[in-house]
Amino acid sequence: MSDTMTTTMTETIATEGVTDALNAAAVERVSLGEPEWLRERRAEAWAVYERTPMPTTKLEEWRYTDLRTKLDLDGLRLSESETAPDDPAAWPARLRETMEADHEASGHIVCIDSHVVHTDIDASLAEQGVILDSLHDALESHPELVQEHLGAVVPAEDGKFEALNAALWNDGIFLYVPANVKLDLPIRVTRWLSEPGTAYFSRVLIVADRHSQVSYVDEVVSDDFADPSFKSSAVEVVARDGAVVQYVTLQRVGRGTFVQSAQRTLAERDARIDTLNVGLGASVHRVDLNARLLGPGANSEMLGLYFGDGSQHFDFNTSQDHIEPNTGSDLLYKGALDGKSRAVFRGVIRVHPGAQRTDAYQTNRNLLLSPGARADSLPNLEIEADDVKCSHGATVGELDSEAKFYLMSRGLSRTQAERLVVLGFLGEVLSRLPLGGVVEKVVGVIEEKLSQHG
Amino acid sequence: MPQNETIQDLNLDEYKYDFVTTAEPVFRAQKGLSEEVVRQISAHKEEPQWMLDFRLKALKVYESKPMPTWGGDLTDLQNVLDEIYFYVRPQDRMERSWDDVPEEIKDTFEKLGIPEAERKILAGVGAQYESEMVYHSLREEWEKQGVIFDSIEDGLKNHPELFREHFSTIIPIGANKFHAMNSAVWSGGQFVYIRKGDTLDTPLQAYFRVNQERMGQFERTLIIVDEGAQAHYIEGCTAPVYSTESFHSGVIEIVVKKNARFRYTTIQNWSNNMYNLVTQRAIVEEGGHMEWLDGNLGSKLTMKYPSCYLVGEHAHGEILSIAYSGDGQHQDTGGKVIHAAPYTTSSIVSKSISKGHGRSTYRGLLKVHEGAHHARSNVECDALLINDTSRTDTYPYIEIEENDANVGHEASVSKIGEEQLFYLTSRGIAEDEAMAMIVRGFIEPIAKELPLEYAVELNRLIELEMEGSVG
Amino acid sequence: MANWVRVAADGDCRVGMLKGVMADGVPVVLANVEGTLCALRDQCSHENYPLSDGELEGNEVVCLYHGARFDACSGARKTLPAVRPVQSFPVEIRDGEIYVDIG
Repeated sequence: MSDTMTTTMTETIATEGVTDALNAAAVERVSLGEPEWLRERRAEAWAVYERTPMPTTKLEEWRYTDLRTKLDLDGLRLSESETAPDDPAAWPARLRETMEADHEASGHIVCIDSHVVHTDIDASLAEQGVILDSLHDALESHPELVQEHLGAVVPAEDGKFEALNAALWNDGIFLYVPANVKLDLPIRVTRWLSEPGTAYFSRVLIVADRHSQVSYVDEVVSDDFADPSFKSSAVEVVARDGAVVQYVTLQRVGRGTFVQSAQRTLAERDARIDTLNVGLGASVHRVDLNARLLGPGANSEMLGLYFGDGSQHFDFNTSQDHIEPNTGSDLLYKGALDGKSRAVFRGVIRVHPGAQRTDAYQTNRNLLLSPGARADSLPNLEIEADDVKCSHGATVGELDSEAKFYLMSRGLSRTQAERLVVLGFLGEVLSRLPLGGVVEKVVGVIEEKLSQHG
Repeated sequence: MPQNETIQDLNLDEYKYDFVTTAEPVFRAQKGLSEEVVRQISAHKEEPQWMLDFRLKALKVYESKPMPTWGGDLTDLQNVLDEIYFYVRPQDRMERSWDDVPEEIKDTFEKLGIPEAERKILAGVGAQYESEMVYHSLREEWEKQGVIFDSIEDGLKNHPELFREHFSTIIPIGANKFHAMNSAVWSGGQFVYIRKGDTLDTPLQAYFRVNQERMGQFERTLIIVDEGAQAHYIEGCTAPVYSTESFHSGVIEIVVKKNARFRYTTIQNWSNNMYNLVTQRAIVEEGGHMEWLDGNLGSKLTMKYPSCYLVGEHAHGEILSIAYSGDGQHQDTGGKVIHAAPYTTSSIVSKSISKGHGRSTYRGLLKVHEGAHHARSNVECDALLINDTSRTDTYPYIEIEENDANVGHEASVSKIGEEQLFYLTSRGIAEDEAMAMIVRGFIEPIAKELPLEYAVELNRLIELEMEGSVG
Repeated sequence: MANWVRVAADGDCRVGMLKGVMADGVPVVLANVEGTLCALRDQCSHENYPLSDGELEGNEVVCLYHGARFDACSGARKTLPAVRPVQSFPVEIRDGEIYVDIG
């Protein structure tokens, strides 16, 4: 463990990760026609990117994910597709199927290769001031709102990938819910990636004003790619006093893609932000999620679910920052790992000085389904206030054989019994955020993966 | 006990090991660490060439490794190291009879209660003063049977083959910076060999005392518990309180052979200006059973993570850790268990109490290698915070490469329960005493494993520390 | 199945030295033990750091990072913190070139 930290690298190699496609000229191209403040931000972000060394396994946060073998930026090009037509008939079949499996929604966004190609929002909500738009359009229609929050929640200075995204994002989603407006049905975003060997950069900005309420579901789908691809996203969620936000992301891209997502949620007084990260696809899936409880009474439930097989690699790096008194957070990440897949969970609860009466919990549970699977779990606590209730737990284990044998004694086959036990294990996460459409899709993918389990 | 007596007691006795003995050393190396100092230590000990080579190699490794950037605050440590004496030789030979120990040194250990402890029929007692063991005795019956309980220097002289077979194979030079430092300047410590099948029914005990100001102590202990043997070893550490900081970096290597059982108990109560950076590691073979019982009460900063490498089937490792951090103290402690064979089991239980500006950190590793099927492990950490300025951290690393294994980790942080406190005070118990009772209850699972005199000492310390902690 | 890969020229790894090379994507460390060339996987079995960063002492490879030792030719572990051996590969010198069989 920590002994390796004695060898922490101090020298920084400048301009690591600058390639034929990812370079200052590309930043210049993507900023064409943008307002001056944004052009400056992109240039600053690019400077941060250039001077930040590529993370290595000598950094605690990247200890178990070796980018040298998992990510080859040199081989990537930027997405070349022009904006696809807003014509569902022209969309790929799998994109349409994915949308058809959804339940009702308050509004939709469809992205193809990180271009927003379609937006719709319930007319009465639009009348009440709800904004659902591409970031580019929102920059023109609501410049102040966007400028206030964009890049303020997930700044370029956070790290190498955050800087790269801030410099090169080519489109994104903006959702604003005015004070006291409550959306009964979720906003549903569906993304499709079509180009192998490509780097995709997109952002999401959600601002829920005082006492508003909204659910947001973001699903990404693609085929397997022979040429490695890279999908980067930055997700910024702000809940003002008393607002309630549910943020759900469903990652179902094909093999060959490295999915990287930097997410931060800011919950102000009495606000509640619940998140669910589901990782099913991709070759590598890395999430950095930071929940900040900024006002008294703020709460966050943080859920995660993953199922790995083949040589998939998941890496969830979470943090729960309790900054003001009387805040709560509850994290539950559960995963099953088959084949030679591997999962890393590294989480920290930080109770800042003065954040009395914090209730913070953190649980990571892993099920190893095959001899080649591997799980690493690092649930950390840093507590600087005494009137707190904090606990964490982590388990790694095999399938509950008692439950399995019980089911088999009731006449189920071994395979059926195993499937039920795994679904029951992972189902606990879904039952805590039971959004229509999400549960069925996740269960569907898990059943498909389990059917390939020996 | 009447109130005024308690208070008087407190004032007199806050840290009862704070006394200095005026014994002149027979030799003291120059300040700081250099090749010259390393050569002097080796020459004083009349060592074989291979050991001098080993020391010089270790010095190079020490110099090449950067200061750790994790764990406790080591920013001032280099300044401390530049000012301390790495080798202080208090007398020229080690005594086997208590009467022969020089008066001043004897006086020190009388105050620490060593003769008293020996009367309680321990299997053996060793005492280290500054850089050397000054006294060693083993009960005659064990000596006759061939149990070896000696200073590490005598171990090297008298049992060169057994020594060299194991020395530094459990913890190689490059393990970490401070272990490399110890390897360069080690002095004192013990060499223990328990023969096949022997069961020592009473503990072996060692006392470590730093007396001089600006002193570094670097003992090195190697313990081999042969097949089927059983023993228990206890070490206690104290030092006077000086205005300057002192440094202790011990290394303990333990080999637990097939079906052997061994328990190593440490009660560390260094003064609050001591840096205490210790490496302790045990290798446990088939069916072997190793327990670390680690009590960290004193020091300014302790960084210490006793480890068990379970390399044989059905080996078992256990770490019981208790830490107390008061004002200005940081206990960065924990444990590591590496499951490298099938059917191995382990358990880590850690309890910490942080008071005032104290900080307690649990840092641990639980690793199950591929092929260590049917491994089972459980880790439990509980932290108690007494004040809103106290801090606690928990950093467990869990690395599992084997699907046929079950491991779990649980940790909780809590404040002294106000309901408990209210209940006790409403029964007429003073608030301080009620606090002490709650804390005692909290550490009870570990305290009950301690030898009686240490358990009594621990309880007394808690009472003192809880005084004035309310409000 | 044998899979001999040329990794260096004879003389690139002098007596008493280690040399890290890549053999068809497999990291290999060559060790010259008193004139005999040996090859191990260039990854310590403890935490996967390159063994070629360390040094050769007699017939033992010493990992720079945490001091683990391995027999330079068989890969057998000699000390903790390693608990497993390191994979070893056959080596041959043909026509002044060093070949390693990565199987």
